[in-house]
Amino acid sequence: MSGKQAAKGAGGKGKKSAKGAEEKREDVLQAVIIADSFQDRYTPFTLDKPRCLLPLANTPMIEYTLEFLAMNGVQEVFIYCGRHIDQVEDYIYDSPRWRPASKLNPFTSIEFIRVSDAHSVGDFLRDLDKRGLMSSDFVLVHGDLVANIPLDAALAKHRARREANRDAIMTVVLRSAGEDDHRTKTHGITPNFLVDPSTGRCLHYEETHPLQSDHYLTLDPTLLEDHAALEVRSDLIDCGIDICTPDVLALWSESFDYELPRKNFLHGVLKDFELNGKFIYTEILDNGYAARASNLQMYDAISRDILGRWTFPLVPDSNLVMDHTYKTSKGGVCLEDGVTLSPSSTITNSVFGQRSKLGSGSTVSNSIIGRRCKIGKNVHIENSYIWDDVVIQDGASIYRSVLANAVTVGKGSSVPEGSLLSYGVQVGNNIQLTTTNAKFSLRSGDGKPAKNDNQLLGANGRGGLYTDLDDLDSDEEEDEDDPSTLQKSLIYSLAGLNLSTSSISTLSSTGDTESVVEDSVAQLQEADPTATTSDSSTRMRLSSLALSDDSSSGRTGAFHGDAVTGLLDSLRADDTSDFDGAKLEFMGLRLANDASDSAMRRAIAVAFARRAAELLNTLEPTKAAENAILSKKGAVKFVREVGVGGGEAEQVEFELDLQKTLVALVAAKNLEPARAGALLAALLQQLYNQDVLEEEGILAWWADKRAAEGESMTAVRDKCRVLVEWLENADEEDSEEEDDDDDE
Amino acid sequence: MAPVQAGYAPTLETFLKSLKGQPLESSIERLVYLLKRRQIKGAEQCATATARILLQVVAKSRWNDVDQLLVNVQQHGATLTRAAPRELVISNIVRRVLGLIRDEAIEDRNAAGDEYGVDSVSDMGALATPPEQPTSRPGPTPIKPGLATHQSFISKSMFNLLSAVHPADSTGTGTPVTGASTPVMQATSSATALRSEVIDGIEEIVDELSQADDQIAGFAEVQIHPGDYILAYQPSPTVEKFLVRAASKRHFTLLIASGPPQRGAPEATYAPLKKKLNAAGVKTIHIMAGSFAAYMPRVSKVVMGASAVLANGAIVTDGGSAVVARAAHEFSKPVIVLSGVYKLCPENSSEVEDPVELGDSSGYVSFADGPLVNGVEVENTVSELVPPELIDMYITNLGPHTRDHLDDILADHYKVEDIDFPLQ
Repeated sequence: MSGKQAAKGAGGKGKKSAKGAEEKREDVLQAVIIADSFQDRYTPFTLDKPRCLLPLANTPMIEYTLEFLAMNGVQEVFIYCGRHIDQVEDYIYDSPRWRPASKLNPFTSIEFIRVSDAHSVGDFLRDLDKRGLMSSDFVLVHGDLVANIPLDAALAKHRARREANRDAIMTVVLRSAGEDDHRTKTHGITPNFLVDPSTGRCLHYEETHPLQSDHYLTLDPTLLEDHAALEVRSDLIDCGIDICTPDVLALWSESFDYELPRKNFLHGVLKDFELNGKFIYTEILDNGYAARASNLQMYDAISRDILGRWTFPLVPDSNLVMDHTYKTSKGGVCLEDGVTLSPSSTITNSVFGQRSKLGSGSTVSNSIIGRRCKIGKNVHIENSYIWDDVVIQDGASIYRSVLANAVTVGKGSSVPEGSLLSYGVQVGNNIQLTTTNAKFSLRSGDGKPAKNDNQLLGANGRGGLYTDLDDLDSDEEEDEDDPSTLQKSLIYSLAGLNLSTSSISTLSSTGDTESVVEDSVAQLQEADPTATTSDSSTRMRLSSLALSDDSSSGRTGAFHGDAVTGLLDSLRADDTSDFDGAKLEFMGLRLANDASDSAMRRAIAVAFARRAAELLNTLEPTKAAENAILSKKGAVKFVREVGVGGGEAEQVEFELDLQKTLVALVAAKNLEPARAGALLAALLQQLYNQDVLEEEGILAWWADKRAAEGESMTAVRDKCRVLVEWLENADEEDSEEEDDDDDE
Repeated sequence: MAPVQAGYAPTLETFLKSLKGQPLESSIERLVYLLKRRQIKGAEQCATATARILLQVVAKSRWNDVDQLLVNVQQHGATLTRAAPRELVISNIVRRVLGLIRDEAIEDRNAAGDEYGVDSVSDMGALATPPEQPTSRPGPTPIKPGLATHQSFISKSMFNLLSAVHPADSTGTGTPVTGASTPVMQATSSATALRSEVIDGIEEIVDELSQADDQIAGFAEVQIHPGDYILAYQPSPTVEKFLVRAASKRHFTLLIASGPPQRGAPEATYAPLKKKLNAAGVKTIHIMAGSFAAYMPRVSKVVMGASAVLANGAIVTDGGSAVVARAAHEFSKPVIVLSGVYKLCPENSSEVEDPVELGDSSGYVSFADGPLVNGVEVENTVSELVPPELIDMYITNLGPHTRDHLDDILADHYKVEDIDFPLQ
């Protein structure tokens, strides 16, 4: 480092002052903490307190984050905070260690930035860009990060990459967590990173969750050409640590609608690589600990990791917070000063805060008990997180729950798994709560005091059942699609949710095909706003039709929609008579989606048939067909080469597609069956005249069973009888002529 | 290893470099957190950091007489001890510095006495009898808390008698000295003299720390004989130096026993050592710690390092050493412990609070192994106590000692009034 700097200094001697200043700045490592995530996954606790101040193993979460930054030699810290900013500011300013003026502060500066109208993380980062505070590489973290990893290696690599290429703007730090189920991976939403293993460059990012209908990642096929090897990693713990250059902030500013750093920003920037040309790299670590307590399930997992000392040295008995005095004793039990434990109580693998009391005959296992808690006799506590000043009376039992400050649980009561009791809730005597994953609070979702639910919590109970505002407002359907609902409970569960059963392993599945068909129906309806929804019988038929040719490709949906609209638009366009642009666009789409020949054929058939059907409103069938096919220069060639492009079998397919489209239009009540048949005949004749279709092709179609499948297909087909008969006659004449020739 | 230099993460080196420019309070706090976060760990690093920070305490903190200085050193020393209660050497260094200050104060007083023509012990005399200090004279001294304050009270009154009365300090001692003007001058000048002498003394301690390993290695060829089979369990830098030095003179075979390769530190950990030894013609065999017992009949000596040596001869060292020592004991093979004098603690093993330290669980199980992380409780003991009866010899930078000899070294290095230091 020193040598490198010296060399650089010598090189830049001419512009000494500016360069020198810049380099000096480079030595100062800056960090930005996003202390508000604009989520409500910690409700009801976050109604009164911001997430970053909630105790995780009796230590406010932000302490872990700040300690992590101090551990890595960060000097300047900027904290962005949304809701409850006053509480966070008070906490920092009252802390003997983090107070900005404190001599004990390991940072040279620690600053809060208030943004009045921020609604997302994106707003924070755009604000940061405006302020221009970031002079060089900086570390972006969230206020709920628990990590003990050294960043030096990642920082050095990032710097080297940035010096080699200015467009290497960001390094995402990730922790691998194995292929098996892991408690510290986020449940519900799985982050998927597409990584080039040789360089660590991240090429694609997408989130998947069990509620979505398809289980696919859509990749740009060119990625496969450009990279020798690619890894799709869904086994990573995304701890939200990003090493960024100021260019990252500029990108945020450019994209005013990005809200989330991963789902929007990372996904978007990688997708638009051709536009922005920015490189994003990953640093995947196999050692150390890093995770974000981004929801209650992660809170549970990280607490467990702290008890299991995976987060060492961020464990209670390191006493990293000023006034903590924890000491480990046998059996993984960590006690602070002044804890009174009855000799007849049994404790395993738990933490007790200052001046807590535990009565005789009680058992506590895998739990974290806060300060000044009073726990009576014969109490049973298992896998629970109990914050400060909680009173648990004799004989109560608590399983895998979170009890916030000043909660009281009465004698002989039981709290089942997944319960969340918010501040000051009181459970009466001998109350057996039964529903799991229930939330109780003194306040309802809109912040008003909740009515005491005396039926549930007993005569002297305080607090009521809490339901999220969103749950009240939104209807069921919307709720089910939102994966964040999966992360709102303490215990991850998919029970009671409507999950699609499509599997990832097979490319084509019924679920997917269905969605394609629905797409095409939706498009048809879009074309005519007055169209009523198709009755179930047509839908059934449609899907059976679509099945026949869709099964070859799993991704036709997006391609088909885009291609058809693109072609239709250029066919409709009055200003140009040129078709080359449309052709180019179509071929681009084809490459991007890796569409099969049959998908292309279908798209072209659909586009031309629909264009002809549109023209049918004003023109006669023959004129409409002629106009649709001949009005644009090059269209005929396009259809011949791309649309049909082959022998008899391909021609039959193309004709079938035309027929099906018209049938679908009929089904959607855009077209009368009789006119549809006439139009098909006109189209076929026109294409025959232009040498796109050959006699054999049309006759083969006529003979094909698929063309006569079902009532409406037959109805449309029958109108072509004249054309076919004429063709047959012409054929005979031809052969007669040939015969004649032979005779001569 | 250049990239380490480029990093932002604080280390012992960056910490020592930053000492000069920083106010004392923040330096101490930074050290406290470096210790808590284990960014400074191991006896050598902790001892060096403590010595250097105490040097800053002597140089920068406000004090006008010896007692104030002693209190300052005790206070800051106690802060460090609390930060890393398992690093016993921190207390040792604080005790050494306290002893040093007391010695220098006596010398000063004697010098002052000379000026005033008071008949007293000469400098030579004071130097000649370091263990028996005038201040510790009153009666036999049982070790108990509170004793030292009593002691310092005596020393205060004696000191005041001879040198000066600082206005702020004249509370208890009702013996104002006539002609106060000159003694005040005397006090400040003696304070600066004392300061520089104590600083010199601490620098000597720092030198001693850095030389200890080399001095210990100097005894290598006496201990290791040609044809020996030496078993080293997780060789520490001290042990490595010792073995390399021995290899330059002797031909022996080294068995390195180590636990499962620690995550993140693959087997290559001992590669530099193996390379050096191989270059010197010494054969090394790397065995898993679990299988060392099979080799024990072949082994002629076991060498281990220590992070602390207790007064009764027990050592605090890497987890897993005790079973090695016990196996050697069963096979009647000598166990040699290498330890700088600064690691020698006046505490007995009964006084040390739980020497077993639990470390990072990922030392044994990969965190990426989800089912194991969720289903198994992992306890990674990084340090443990080896009982004294399993150890045959201690080699310090002063030479080889037996267990019975440790008391003498303790008496030579620590003052009786400082022995119960952290409890004060």
